[in-house]
Amino acid sequence: MKTHIKLIILLVALAFTACEDVIDVDVPTGQTRLVIEGSLDWEKGTTGNNQTIKLSTSTPYFQTATIPIVTGASVKVTNIDTNQEFIFIDQNDGTYTISNFVPIIGNTYNLEVIHNNETYTATETLTAVSEINSVTQSLEGGFDDELLEVNVYFDDPADEDNFYLFSFYEQGDLFSTIEDLSDEFVNGNEIHNFFEKDDDDDNDQAPFQAGDIVDIQLYGISEGYYNYVRILIEQYYGGGDPFSSTAAEVRGNCINETNSDNYAYGYFRVTEVVKTSYTFE
Amino acid sequence: MKYILLAFCLLCSSLLIAQEKYSLRGTIKDVNNGETLLGATVFLKGTSNGAVTNEYGFFSLTAAKGNYTIIISYIGFESITQDIQLDSDQTLNFELKESATSLNEVVIVAEESEQVSIKKPQMSVSKLNAGTIKQMPAVLGEVDVIKSLQMLPGVTNNGEGSSGFNVRGGAVDQNLVLLDEAIIYNTSHFFGFFSVFNADAIKDIKLYKGDIPAKFGGRVSSVLDVRQKDGNNKNFNINGGIGLISSRLAVEGPIVKDKGSFLIAGRTSYAHLFMKASEDLKDDKISFYDLNLKANYEINKNNKVYLSGYFGRDVFNLSKIIENTYGNATANLRWNHIFNDKLFSNLSLIYSKYDYQIILDFIELDWIADIKNYNLKYDFKYYLSDKVKLEFGASGISYKLNPGEVRPTSQSSPINYLKLDQKRAFEGGLYVSAEHQITNKLTAQYGLRYSTFSRLGGQSISNYLNDQPVVYNSQLDIYERGEEISQTAYSKSESIQNFDNFEPRLGLSYQLNEASSVKASVTKSTQYLHLLSNTSSVTPLDVWTPSGKYIKPQRSTQYAIGYYKNFKDKAYALEVETYYKTIDNRIDYIDGSDLIGNNTIETEILNGEARAYGLEVLLRKNKGKFTGWLAYTLSKSEQRTLGGQAGGPGINDGNWYNTPYDRTHDISLTGMYKLNNKWSFSSNIVFQTGRPVTYPNGQYNYEGFSVATFSNRNEDRLPAYHRLDISATYTPNNKPDKRWKGEWVFGIYNLYNRKNAASITFTQNDQTGLNEATRLSIFGLIPSVSYNFKF
Repeated sequence: MKTHIKLIILLVALAFTACEDVIDVDVPTGQTRLVIEGSLDWEKGTTGNNQTIKLSTSTPYFQTATIPIVTGASVKVTNIDTNQEFIFIDQNDGTYTISNFVPIIGNTYNLEVIHNNETYTATETLTAVSEINSVTQSLEGGFDDELLEVNVYFDDPADEDNFYLFSFYEQGDLFSTIEDLSDEFVNGNEIHNFFEKDDDDDNDQAPFQAGDIVDIQLYGISEGYYNYVRILIEQYYGGGDPFSSTAAEVRGNCINETNSDNYAYGYFRVTEVVKTSYTFE
Repeated sequence: MKYILLAFCLLCSSLLIAQEKYSLRGTIKDVNNGETLLGATVFLKGTSNGAVTNEYGFFSLTAAKGNYTIIISYIGFESITQDIQLDSDQTLNFELKESATSLNEVVIVAEESEQVSIKKPQMSVSKLNAGTIKQMPAVLGEVDVIKSLQMLPGVTNNGEGSSGFNVRGGAVDQNLVLLDEAIIYNTSHFFGFFSVFNADAIKDIKLYKGDIPAKFGGRVSSVLDVRQKDGNNKNFNINGGIGLISSRLAVEGPIVKDKGSFLIAGRTSYAHLFMKASEDLKDDKISFYDLNLKANYEINKNNKVYLSGYFGRDVFNLSKIIENTYGNATANLRWNHIFNDKLFSNLSLIYSKYDYQIILDFIELDWIADIKNYNLKYDFKYYLSDKVKLEFGASGISYKLNPGEVRPTSQSSPINYLKLDQKRAFEGGLYVSAEHQITNKLTAQYGLRYSTFSRLGGQSISNYLNDQPVVYNSQLDIYERGEEISQTAYSKSESIQNFDNFEPRLGLSYQLNEASSVKASVTKSTQYLHLLSNTSSVTPLDVWTPSGKYIKPQRSTQYAIGYYKNFKDKAYALEVETYYKTIDNRIDYIDGSDLIGNNTIETEILNGEARAYGLEVLLRKNKGKFTGWLAYTLSKSEQRTLGGQAGGPGINDGNWYNTPYDRTHDISLTGMYKLNNKWSFSSNIVFQTGRPVTYPNGQYNYEGFSVATFSNRNEDRLPAYHRLDISATYTPNNKPDKRWKGEWVFGIYNLYNRKNAASITFTQNDQTGLNEATRLSIFGLIPSVSYNFKF
């Protein structure tokens, strides 16, 4: 909602000879921290046995060198409901993997990472997601009636608060586009979301045309993760514009049990995800 | 209480020195159009006895029996000198004539430049008249009251394209903006690019930055008191203008000659007309318009009625995507009644409304929010003696707030109907204040305002576990929503919470000599309504919310001292003021707060405090071919928000942080030069420290994206803001007998095309994957031309 308001205001601004340019800015450099990318995503229709957790560290904002990976840590996930332990194996490339993970909807999992003699923990519950009812394409919907968009429909369960994360990725692009959604205004209804690319002179992004393939992912996420990823998305797509809320560090759910000031970035999420692809006609 | 006693003692002492005295009262008007002149001075030569006309052009003064020479003066008008014999109470009305040379000259008037006002205890007030504002260079030639005010010390805003203004380090919602006494909730058109005040309909603008008179209440930073013209009661007049953005037309004339008049002024933008002509844009619309209305009628010499109204609207339609409209509407019915030579009264019934609607077609959502109020107020001015003038009165404001209603726009829409709780409140005020000349050199203005606020029922209020709407999560070091355990329903006849506050106001003026004085003031004020905005710029979508169980009234105390001097025969005036201000109960928002569609705002906020202090210098040149002023402000504005009941250290670890409107240095220079009768020029130079922002201090890789981490709140700053504007006014040879008078105004805004950063956004380039900082600059060099006419 707020994103849309921002869109209007920026459009008005642009109508008044506003201009955007990339400039050099001196930014401060904060503390280097461990980054835990603990995304355990169970794709519907699979066993969910294969999972990966990534560890790295933060860098100065404008540093362009490759992200430093973290090896030699110990990574363990425990299902608190069943007491089953899952030990992740260090692949020495910053990833820690497992091939016998057992996802159970509604069960709570605990992550433990030990790195540099400090123990980080996080807790999360596996959140379910609805099936996608249909995926269509249209011209009339979306922001621009002359551009193609892909539509996704799915049912939101009534009587509960649900939170979603979408990822749309056009094959061949460098980045996917992610969006967060809560059922606050649409509880219990069939939810419709769309993804439309506009042709933007600045980055010669091509709008969709026949033959383009879009990978679509729909995650069921917890309220805690929604609060995290919502702020992260807002900051990622427009951090610092005057109509976004004051930028602030987004704190994830990973706690440093040894030294609480040396907390980690990132999040330990456990989700169910539906994945599909759509080819434009 | 001690203030009341003090006031009482001072009053008694002045009443004891009674002699045979008579009073003189009357109204001062412009001879050309019958427009009452406010702030005109009436002065008995050779005495220190004088008066200044009030908002309705009325004055009253009292002096010992005798023969006097009375001098009536008003800047830009020829003075009247007349001998009078004061041996009975009498009424004398005066009509002043505009001085022939004064057209487009000497138009800025700060009250202190007048003989009487060096003495007047009122300080921290800035006054601009429509004439000055019209001459100042403006973006796209669109005359803008609020942008003009920003050329004065202590007034800033958050940059081009942001609504409202900030006074002495205060927030936008801490300004009470009154148009003919009616509250204006949003002062901007086009999301902040232009202001809602049409200079053609405006007579006078006064901004109280501190030392707010006791008759005003309800906001803690400032009062902007804008008065509309009454309309010409002698002749029909039309004036208007054609500009790049909008066109204006004002019609005024007598209803009954010398008895009553009306004014209708309209202004509309017309970009949408061009858009209609374009194939691509024909379904789109961006426009705004205003309508100002005023009528007055003098029933007899003791009774006069006024009706005034304002209606303004912004419309923004992007075909099939967004339809957005918002605007203010106000109406005010007033009755001036003069009880006797000494007692003047005004009764007003006022209505104000602000509403906002947005329809998002692509998600089939319709959103409406509004705030409206009725206000009944009765004000009295009692000219007790030549030494003491009293003002007292009462007001009651009834508020109804509809913070948001969401509707689906079609049968197939996935949106559920949602209506946030309507909120109702009543604000009462009682005040008395005196302007008291204690000795020839020392004058005081002291008063007391008693305000009450009742948050009324008709809704339910949530109760939280441990009475904590916000809870500190010590493990993750974040603030989270508290757990709602129950709701308490309040019926419409119950009140949810009541507040009351005493707000003493005290000002002193000590005259050092004929041309200079020092003044000091202390003002306490309370604010019961708050604008919810967690962005650095206020947007039209932000909603107002009343104080209640979880949001406490903001309370401020401001101390100010100042030095005022006229020199070179009043050609120059210097004003230096310094202030220190504290505000209690200033709310701030927890990191990542979500205010839209939120019924329980209390779960997103923490109560904090704010403080601001600064030094303001204003040097004016009032006379001659070259006039203008130099304003410099050195200031600091910061806030602190502790965890309080929620626990934890609070926002920004409980440390003080800059408010988004903190500006260390703010320099403006405005100059106007009249070359000859045909050409005059003006120019603005502005330099400001950049706006406080929060920059990233690192990045990490998450889900394939480079995510920024941020430093402490508002610790960094945008680059400094500066620009130069120029304009030239050409008045063709207007023959005096010709009714039609026209002038051309040519302007260039931001002459050296400075790319001032309205914002800097930090994003990852989606082609290269590299992080970059993108500057948004709104107004580059903008030329403009407009034509104004009068007939």
